[in-house]
Amino acid sequence: MADRQGRLSATAELFGDALRQILAHPLRSLLTLSGIVFGAASLVSLTSIAVGMKEMAYRDLESIGFPRSIQFADRGPRSDATRAVDLRHPGLRISDAEAVAAMPGVASVHPRVWGGNLLATGPAGRRNIPVEGIAEGFLTLRNFEVVAGREFRALDIAHAARVAVVGEETARDLFGAVSPIGRAITLDGTRMTVIGVIAPQRFEMAPIDFSWVSRRVYVPWTHLQRYYRPPSRIDGMLVTAVAGGDVGEMLRRADLLVRQRHLGATDYELENEAADVLSDLAMADSILGGWNSVMYAISVVTILVGGIGLFSVLLISVRERVREIGIMKALGADDGHIRSLFLAESLTLAALGAVGGIGAGMGLIVLTTWIGAQFGKVFTIPLHWPGVAFALGFALVVGLLFGWYPARRAARLDPVEAMAG
Amino acid sequence: MPALIEARGLAKTYRLGRVDVPALRGVDVDVQPGEFVAIVGPSGSGKSTLMHLLGCLDTPTAGRYQLDGEDVSALAGKRLAQVRNRKVGFVFQTFNLMPRLTIEENVALPLKYRGGVPRKERKRRAVAGLEHLGLGHRIGHRPEELSGGERQRVAIARALVGEPAILMADEPTGNLDSKAGGEVMRTFEALHAAGHTVILVTHDPLVAERAERIIQIADGQVVA
Ligand SMILES: Nc1ncnc2c1ncn2[C@@H]1O[C@H](COP(=O)(O)OP(=O)(O)OP(=O)(O)O)[C@@H](O)[C@H]1O
Ligand SMILES: [Mg+2]
Repeated sequence: MADRQGRLSATAELFGDALRQILAHPLRSLLTLSGIVFGAASLVSLTSIAVGMKEMAYRDLESIGFPRSIQFADRGPRSDATRAVDLRHPGLRISDAEAVAAMPGVASVHPRVWGGNLLATGPAGRRNIPVEGIAEGFLTLRNFEVVAGREFRALDIAHAARVAVVGEETARDLFGAVSPIGRAITLDGTRMTVIGVIAPQRFEMAPIDFSWVSRRVYVPWTHLQRYYRPPSRIDGMLVTAVAGGDVGEMLRRADLLVRQRHLGATDYELENEAADVLSDLAMADSILGGWNSVMYAISVVTILVGGIGLFSVLLISVRERVREIGIMKALGADDGHIRSLFLAESLTLAALGAVGGIGAGMGLIVLTTWIGAQFGKVFTIPLHWPGVAFALGFALVVGLLFGWYPARRAARLDPVEAMAG
Repeated sequence: MPALIEARGLAKTYRLGRVDVPALRGVDVDVQPGEFVAIVGPSGSGKSTLMHLLGCLDTPTAGRYQLDGEDVSALAGKRLAQVRNRKVGFVFQTFNLMPRLTIEENVALPLKYRGGVPRKERKRRAVAGLEHLGLGHRIGHRPEELSGGERQRVAIARALVGEPAILMADEPTGNLDSKAGGEVMRTFEALHAAGHTVILVTHDPLVAERAERIIQIADGQVVA
């Protein structure tokens, strides 16, 4: 116990002495370390940025709700349909949505009906505007920001209430500076009360443009269904899986169910948004993996080159201190003492270089965030710890490796010759 | 009483390229505990070479050397470093202090290499040693701030801090004026009077006179 404590304090003293030695030549030490600093800085910053970008892209996609959903789109009876069964079955119906909603593993079903471009008139103007019929909770699911008023409720949908949620830009077009909430617009001749205003969410990373959300009017799907579609028909539905559920499995079972209900007709299309996004992400992952290996390789080489600087400065340090080494040996320092002295110096230099490089890398990350902000992008880039650990670990290995020969050379000096200088 | 130093046929030959330079050609030396011995001789006669062998700073090319009851002529590496550290206190002509360390750090160095002596204890013993040699007021100073005589007394304190069996000095007054040299010699005399065994090299006959016994060397051999 006492022995271990003694060894510990001896080690602390050794590195303290090494640090004193290094600080005696600050400029030289700084120049020596540039390779290790550059290597560590590039490794830490570039891997952090790459991983951070990937995570931002993931978050963006998750924020749209894509990775947990599939889309049914009606294809209707098609004139080029070759099979009699395709002609007989008239596409997606409300009962399909109800059937899918009853399936285990399904969290929610959102029927959709397209209104196409309708004439919307407000006190301040009129516009031909795309109108979409949706279900309650859809806007929240897509993470659109309700900037005023509220989203649709189940009751609005159930009663096909004459209410509308309008995009921010459209609200300005139709109402000017007046708040539209509680006021009426006419949509294709029907009076609708505006209950909410929405804006698109902003993305950190994904190159997705949702600005069209601002130029759109949403109404209960039941309203459009009643006045613009044959009985019980819908144009599509979005189906989400329960948290942790297998989206692919849900897709297979929902497909089977709907196809059975349609007696095998292919009068709808099914899109696995999740799979599409996941395959994009997988590609991004593999690109990122390649990028990271390149970064590691470059940093390894840079740090190794830094090791050569370390090596030469240690040889200089040994040469400068030949007399001191002779004195130490004359006073009873053995080869191990001298060796550990220079190895400690080497390791301390390498660690300082790595720490400096990691600090510089963090600076670069902050700079990247700042540049992003100048372009209106919100970057959140957390430090990539494996990169940090690798930079530090590899620098220490290099310190040990390139310190070995100078340390050995110092340790082997003959005391009398060394003291003679 | 067994001899502290018992050297038989000590020889050292340096190789300079293809030429052999015999610096020491078979020297017998005995030193009893508590003795004060001076080694004298002309320049190049081999005094320093002999001292380095006796101080275990160098190894002989021939001969046998028993120090404090242990045959050290064949020792090397860690064991040799230990003997240097524990048995011998060496004082050099050029002081050989570490310029960047304070004097008490300098004095504590042998204890540092001994291992197992805590820092506080090292410092305490270094300070006590310096005070004993009248350098208490210089604690915290660096060697360059001291006079030559003071520096040499710091070096003596350093040689003594590990309580060695023998104190050796190679022309300790060689770089000092007569006043400082006299002070340093009085220090050695006092140490001898206190029971220390002292061997020193000099070519100043006045210095040599103060020793109990003189070994005269010429051309690598003991002549008297
Ligand atoms: N490292 C060495 N390599 C070659 N020859 C050496 C070496 N050291 C000493 N010599 C030679 O050995 C001989 C003895 O040298 P040494 O230094 O022991 O003499 P010294 O008596 O101490 O002389 P001085 O009084 O000048 O100090 C000299 O001829 C010297 O040139
Ligand atoms: Mg000499």
